[in-house]
Amino acid sequence: MKQHLGRQSGVQNVDVSLIDGKVEVTPKEDGQIDPAQLLKAVYDSGVSVAEMDITVRGKIVKDADGNLALQVSPSQSFAITPNDLLKTLEPLADSPAVVTLRGELYRKPAGKKKAAASAPLKLLILEVEKKE
Amino acid sequence: MNARKLTFLFLLGSMFVPAAQAQIKHIEMRVEGMT
Repeated sequence: MKQHLGRQSGVQNVDVSLIDGKVEVTPKEDGQIDPAQLLKAVYDSGVSVAEMDITVRGKIVKDADGNLALQVSPSQSFAITPNDLLKTLEPLADSPAVVTLRGELYRKPAGKKKAAASAPLKLLILEVEKKE
Repeated sequence: MNARKLTFLFLLGSMFVPAAQAQIKHIEMRVEGMT
């Protein structure tokens, strides 16, 4: 699995801890990495992902439906699950401000042995690390 | 004229720099079934 992940685009380093079942992925400096592709790569290597946390820097934007999303690059953005932390970021929507967030991007649905790796990823903000 | 051009370029650059620095910094997964 480590080798399989290491071959994915944008991956600089992969650390696997067999004891606690943790896999840490360090992206290359440009940060151009696709979490959905990593999820698929893990599933393809025969392992099930219970949850995926991410630390990401980007801008809060409003999509066409008025929902808030985190834009990481012109071609990459994540829908955000509404919670109290998101309310504190609402005033920054469509402003030039950049935020650094830690959040949960994926959690395996309870009761399912194996979730569909193609399910859309949605960011649940756990911590606002920085506002710039 | 040059000073105005430089000011314009500086303002333009400061608009795009934060967006260029946006990125994924770290990803952590908890996996099951690993042997």
